[in-house]
Amino acid sequence: MSAPRPRLREALTDLWLAGPATVAMLVLIFIPALIVGVLSFTDYLFGASTFHWVGLDNYIELFTDRTGRRAVTNTLLYVAVVMPTSIVLSLVAALGVHAVARWSRGLANVLRTAYFMPVAATLVAMATVWQMLLHPNLGLVNQVLALAGMAGQEWLSDRGLVLYTLAVIGIWETIGYNMILFLAGLAAIPEHLYDAAAVDGAERGWERFWTVTWPLLGPTTLFVLVVTATRSFRVFETVATLTNGGPAFASDTLVFAMYREGFVYFKAGYSGAITMVFFFFVLTLTLIQLRLVEKRVHYR
Amino acid sequence: MKKLLIAAAVAGLAALNAAQAAEVTLRVHYAHPNLWKNVQELMAKNFMAANPGIKIELDAPAKTYADGAQQLLREAVANKLPDLAYVGLNRWRILEARGLLAELDPLVGDAAAFEAKGYTPALRSLGQYKGKQYALAASASTLVMYVNPELVKKAGGSMDSFPRDFDGLIALAGKISALGGGIDGVWVDPHDWRFQSMLGSYGGRPMNDDETAITFDSPAGVAAATLYSRFAKEAGMKKYGGNEARQAFAAGTLGIYIDSSSYLTRMIEGAGDRFKVTVEPFIVAAQDTSKVYFPTGGSAIVMFTKDKAKQAAAWKYMMYATGPDGAKMVVENSGYAPTNALVLQDKSYLGDFYAKNENARRAHAQVSAHAGPWYAYPGAEGVAVTDLIGAGLVEIIDGADPAAKIKEVADDVRGKLKMK
Repeated sequence: MSAPRPRLREALTDLWLAGPATVAMLVLIFIPALIVGVLSFTDYLFGASTFHWVGLDNYIELFTDRTGRRAVTNTLLYVAVVMPTSIVLSLVAALGVHAVARWSRGLANVLRTAYFMPVAATLVAMATVWQMLLHPNLGLVNQVLALAGMAGQEWLSDRGLVLYTLAVIGIWETIGYNMILFLAGLAAIPEHLYDAAAVDGAERGWERFWTVTWPLLGPTTLFVLVVTATRSFRVFETVATLTNGGPAFASDTLVFAMYREGFVYFKAGYSGAITMVFFFFVLTLTLIQLRLVEKRVHYR
Repeated sequence: MKKLLIAAAVAGLAALNAAQAAEVTLRVHYAHPNLWKNVQELMAKNFMAANPGIKIELDAPAKTYADGAQQLLREAVANKLPDLAYVGLNRWRILEARGLLAELDPLVGDAAAFEAKGYTPALRSLGQYKGKQYALAASASTLVMYVNPELVKKAGGSMDSFPRDFDGLIALAGKISALGGGIDGVWVDPHDWRFQSMLGSYGGRPMNDDETAITFDSPAGVAAATLYSRFAKEAGMKKYGGNEARQAFAAGTLGIYIDSSSYLTRMIEGAGDRFKVTVEPFIVAAQDTSKVYFPTGGSAIVMFTKDKAKQAAAWKYMMYATGPDGAKMVVENSGYAPTNALVLQDKSYLGDFYAKNENARRAHAQVSAHAGPWYAYPGAEGVAVTDLIGAGLVEIIDGADPAAKIKEVADDVRGKLKMK
């Protein structure tokens, strides 16, 4: 028996390396996603023995029904608030911590840990803490406001306010993670570029930031943008633990609606349609960002 | 010798057969382990002791009734349903709609004899749909008022003359809210079940009898919706979520918390030494009290097995769990009200328990007086419309005109359910 030819052996090794993960992805992600896609064109009820094809009805309902439309607009609004705010604030925090690290490594570590805490903590447990802080008359937030002579708010049960309250919690939750990413980006900027900029006359903080730091953070910013966008599109835990989409659907979001329709109302077909729309949103957003931002990233 | 051998063999075979015939294993599903685990294990143990030959196997419990329903539907798809299940009283219709449940009428047999065992028509109605019995109620709760007597006293009221009509209640709650300092008078959830209870207090029903028309925008429905509006405007009701309201009540800053009687143990524990929680039955508003009903929360037992031998064994278990012995175990270990009339008539079962638990006695008396079905809207949109109703009630609390809004919600629901 002769040994297999080297090329064949190489091919076998490749298959052995890539195969298991590919099979797992196919079985656990792509095939179920395909089934969900097919279900989204039916009126299948969870647990039922039959279903009917309904064409695009589920999609039409999502964009014409008041509740469905609200889930879409709420999610877009949430992303529009969380994404930019979180990125700006985490960049500011990273610049601050980076500067602090120059004169006190210890303090910088404490700050880093403090900012990263919300990421490491279980969000459901944290949500309970938020609920206590935001309680209309027992909560710390309203009690502090009262001491300052301001009127307390019904943070989680005022229909006009609840989505912004959740957005603030979402920002709080993502800042730490983004800050760590920016810190890594900052650490990778070579010191001699600042020296070169100084020679060219860029000595003040803002000039240094605008001519050196910001362009060199390009790739990091792109990554942070994509990650934050998908994360905020996915908002679910805070909605499920704090508001259940309420009051009166004021904090209903796409992923929560997906869960509610599928597992509370048992409308698997409609829930499948929401899943597809969600998937489409995230995919488009990511593609647009990659295309647009990659063109402007200097540092490649 | 040969004869002896044959005889022994025959006897052995016969014994084996008998053992096989007698040994039936029933798989039982339940949810809410924090409420039910002790009861279920005790019930299974006592039942097996009383019925040798029937073995009870408890499935790993689901976390809530909603999770339980999901789990059962998944098991139905995989053809792995248990033989019996404890499900939420408003959820067995989901299983019935998919044709999964065994009809119980052949097992019930003579209705009069069945009633004599403690299954009154009101109790039986909790598990009936279109005149057929699909479930037997196993535990019950209705809407009650949890009162903080100290706040009532501070506001100039007294527990001895606690209001028995809504005008009095709203006036008292308004006085408690007027105490200031973050104290408020009353809270009730803008939620389908609570709304159905208020509707029932005025003698109304959410649907007509054959479930072809929506009727919760009747004068009774408008009156019930107006209550939410008045609670907010005249009694200063805050817009809490359920958890927030329970926290406020436990902290002693909420005077009257209106919710399910099944919260009794939790509310007493929550209040601790701060004050003595007092349960008041919910208010009956209609003049004609025969029309009053309170939709009943809690659980029912349903049967999935279609195998005749298993059905006989499963029916034995159902009768045991919903009979006086089972009801006694449920009441003493869970805080739910019993669903068997005998256990209330015969003091030897729960006389001692009620003598020690006045709050439980009041809550449970209301169940036997006014228990009625918790209407589940039929069809694919059945669960979804309950959230539409809740959303409408939120808008009423926020200041929308109750009569106009409840009519609008009813029209929305009609559209969704394709009803009159």
